[in-house]
Amino acid sequence: MIGKTRRKRTWFVAAVLASGSLFATALPANAETGVSASEIKLGITLPLTGAASPGYNKIGDAMNAYFKYVNDNGGVYGRKVTLIQKNDEYSPQLSIAKTNELILKDKVFALVGPLGTANFTAVHKSVGIARRGVPSLFLNTGFSGFGNKKDFPTSFTILPSYAMEAKIAALFLKENFAGKKLGLVYQNDEFGIDALSAFRNAGVKFDVSIPYTSGTQSAATAQTWVSQLAAGGAQVVLFFGVTSATAPLLAVAAGAKYAPQWILGSVGSDPLTLRALGVPVAVLNGALTLAGNPSPNDLNDEYIKVFQDINKKYNTGVAFDDYVLQGMNVGLMTVQALRAAGQNLTRRGLVRAMENKGSTFASVAYSPLAYSKTSNIGHTGYYMAVMDATGDRKPYGGSVVLYTTDSGNGPVVKSTFKRPAIPAKGLPTNS
Amino acid sequence: MRNFKFKRSLTLVAVSSLLSLTVVSIPTAARAADPACTTANFVTTCVGATSDTAPYSMIVPANFNGTVYLYSHGYRPNVPVPAGIPGYGGYTVTNTPQPGPNATVIGALVAKGYGVVGSGFARQGWNADSAIKTNVELVGIFKKQFTKTTKVVTWGESLGGFITQALAEQYPNLFKAAAPLCMASDITPLMTMAGDALWGIKTFFDPTIKGGSYSAGAAGYAEAMGDLVKVFTAIGSLQAAFAANPTAPAWPATSKVPDAIKAIPSRSALVMVALMSGIPMQSAHFDSTSAPSVLPAASQTSFQLAINPAFAALENVANAAALAVLATHDLELQAGGAVFDNTTTDYAARIKEEQFIWSSALSGNSGIAGLSSVLAASPRATANPAAVAKLKTLASHSGKVEIPTILFTGVADPVTVAGNQQSVADKYATYWAEKWAAAKKAGVSKRPANNQLVLWNFPPQKYTKFSAAGAPDTTLPAATGTNHCNFTTSQYLAIADMLAYAADNGVNLSGGALLTKLRKAGNMTYDRDYAAPKMKFYGN
Repeated sequence: MIGKTRRKRTWFVAAVLASGSLFATALPANAETGVSASEIKLGITLPLTGAASPGYNKIGDAMNAYFKYVNDNGGVYGRKVTLIQKNDEYSPQLSIAKTNELILKDKVFALVGPLGTANFTAVHKSVGIARRGVPSLFLNTGFSGFGNKKDFPTSFTILPSYAMEAKIAALFLKENFAGKKLGLVYQNDEFGIDALSAFRNAGVKFDVSIPYTSGTQSAATAQTWVSQLAAGGAQVVLFFGVTSATAPLLAVAAGAKYAPQWILGSVGSDPLTLRALGVPVAVLNGALTLAGNPSPNDLNDEYIKVFQDINKKYNTGVAFDDYVLQGMNVGLMTVQALRAAGQNLTRRGLVRAMENKGSTFASVAYSPLAYSKTSNIGHTGYYMAVMDATGDRKPYGGSVVLYTTDSGNGPVVKSTFKRPAIPAKGLPTNS
Repeated sequence: MRNFKFKRSLTLVAVSSLLSLTVVSIPTAARAADPACTTANFVTTCVGATSDTAPYSMIVPANFNGTVYLYSHGYRPNVPVPAGIPGYGGYTVTNTPQPGPNATVIGALVAKGYGVVGSGFARQGWNADSAIKTNVELVGIFKKQFTKTTKVVTWGESLGGFITQALAEQYPNLFKAAAPLCMASDITPLMTMAGDALWGIKTFFDPTIKGGSYSAGAAGYAEAMGDLVKVFTAIGSLQAAFAANPTAPAWPATSKVPDAIKAIPSRSALVMVALMSGIPMQSAHFDSTSAPSVLPAASQTSFQLAINPAFAALENVANAAALAVLATHDLELQAGGAVFDNTTTDYAARIKEEQFIWSSALSGNSGIAGLSSVLAASPRATANPAAVAKLKTLASHSGKVEIPTILFTGVADPVTVAGNQQSVADKYATYWAEKWAAAKKAGVSKRPANNQLVLWNFPPQKYTKFSAAGAPDTTLPAATGTNHCNFTTSQYLAIADMLAYAADNGVNLSGGALLTKLRKAGNMTYDRDYAAPKMKFYGN
């Protein structure tokens, strides 16, 4: 576009796509969109309402709570961090419109934590995230395709990819459940592409394999899953999908007295949300899960303790669960990224800071961060956990055994990585 | 999932929106360069014909200010369409001249002291080359008749947008400014889109559709009309099936895909056709995101992700299909043989990004794999190389313009998709970069003027309306930014004002004045960092 070569133009026009309203902004020399002397504006799209929203709808508020805490303690080099949340209802088409609003109307500096693979794929393509040079940090999706730095030069993942998760799960299945009849229920999209490929490469074959199309999950469809699993005699069932699908699966299975060894993927295994969606706690007792973070109830963990304190004060009345923890942690990492980009904040500077310093950021997750000049990949590993009679999550075998890997053909290895300590009082001082 | 009944059948507007308005009657014995004029109420109306027998119309007020708008109308089929075509209706070939987008806009311009002029063109169908010559001659006739003429600006829609851009590129000394609207661009990508859509409908829903490679003469005409019947019969069957059971609509009886494939909802096949052709997923009444509030919460997400997009695809494919058949027939006649070739097209690669975005609408990986297997296994269309070569000579744009131009289109136009406008914007960007590089090499530090203003009309975030019972309401006007050349009078007049400004000043309106103009017109967006999806011919 010609405009990209004409940055010195003194006038700039943008429009709000939905309303057609137009806004003119006269930017002072060297100023960056979304950054003023006193404020840094950030944006996120996520489902705040609708069937896919349970749990996810807590992430934005948790991020905001952390940012308020930072703002009350001096902000980022004196600037307040403001987060604007937009409800995309999990609809990719709506994600496009809402992201356009964030960029063109609200004029955010960067996107942080946008949620959903289909959603961000649509946004990246239609809004032109890379073309506009908008940093998109800490994508809340595990799709390995976003790890292509050439195609997504300004975007950075945070979660280990679904492929990594499946590779680690495959190793666990082979080591612990050899000879058992295996069942798999998986979301029939990029979730499945990543997982099935990894299981196939690892030589894991499932006796019963059930895909479901995103959006079709319900008690009725879960009934068919359970029937197929039971009829196939699946003794160990791995679930790779979202919480709104885990819940009917487990609830229907409980009603049918079908009780295999459940292994839940990291995305759909938050106990608090599952219980809120009607899953009896007894069903969760003994369920295995892949986890990247400590339990949100583990007050021996320094991150959890700080985040819980912040949640009590700035997110009052909201139960602290995996989603709140994820939101807080994205907030912590965002502040470190902003600080690393320096006081003269620019979008290009933020991307460079992620590339050059992102791998050193403190994060609640146990696994290393893989950010570099050639990698936009965040965390890289999981450990196995087991749920107890209260629905809480404990490391399987009594202590965290972390496995790391990549999204390709690299091996799954036990890691000795030592997680960086949380900054004092949870307030980053990095530069 | 509940059953839905449309309040009425989907409106198939493609051709009706392309057809011109009857503004004036044509004299029966017009002679070239000899207009017949009448004056009434201080307005002079002249009619005549250019040397190629194309009828024209001029309307000029007594207080003519010297600026005239030359308008080029859109595609009109070059063959009649029998009235009995289901879902389409009849059409009689007409070369009625059209000097503006509609009577209201024409009246407003004349009231402001502007003149308007337009031809009906000698030949209908794809007529860019001849229409360009006709228009150039027509400008000369107008100037001779109205000697106060000082400035000529040109504008047009759809095929008329193509003609307008070509006039701007080829005749910078004849025109002061140009506005191609909802423009067609290069003919080869356009016919690839038409061919992909027809081939997809044929492959999934009725293999007896020819979809091209029509015979010569009357036999070919009969084949094309037969295709129209079959295409709209298939679309009608899909519409009925969608309404009866939107979750798992049946396949048309004419479909011959394997039974295993028919386990995939037919709506997913139609979404596949739209995506692989590059047809947008927002239509006149379906925003691909809304759900009826009467649905249980658990079903609303499914409707948003899987059902609404299928309805959008249905409405848009219906609107694009008629032109696809008629233009294919027309251009094969002109090129001398089949012009669509998909022998090497990898349709799975075509949707490599869209498959994630529209996963639910495509019924997930299993659905995508199944539908892709049908596409991969089905007989492909082979073009006649000489015809393809000939097609390429039927005009394309260089993007190189020196006069101010204003581009404007709906982002969800299903006929001349937004990628048409984008391709011209991209070509101009390349041209501008080349000029700037040459200037720097020559020691010139001043950037060349950017004479292209690219405007977009985006659909609202949500606009699908449902009845109290939850049925989608397709009786409402099409949402802004959707349908073919769906502009308001305010938008037309804003474009006209901007053309006048550009003609007077040699540059496009900019800054705050532009903002104000666009805001007042409504739903006109200038966003220099927006890029519409490329047409599928170009690779994504």
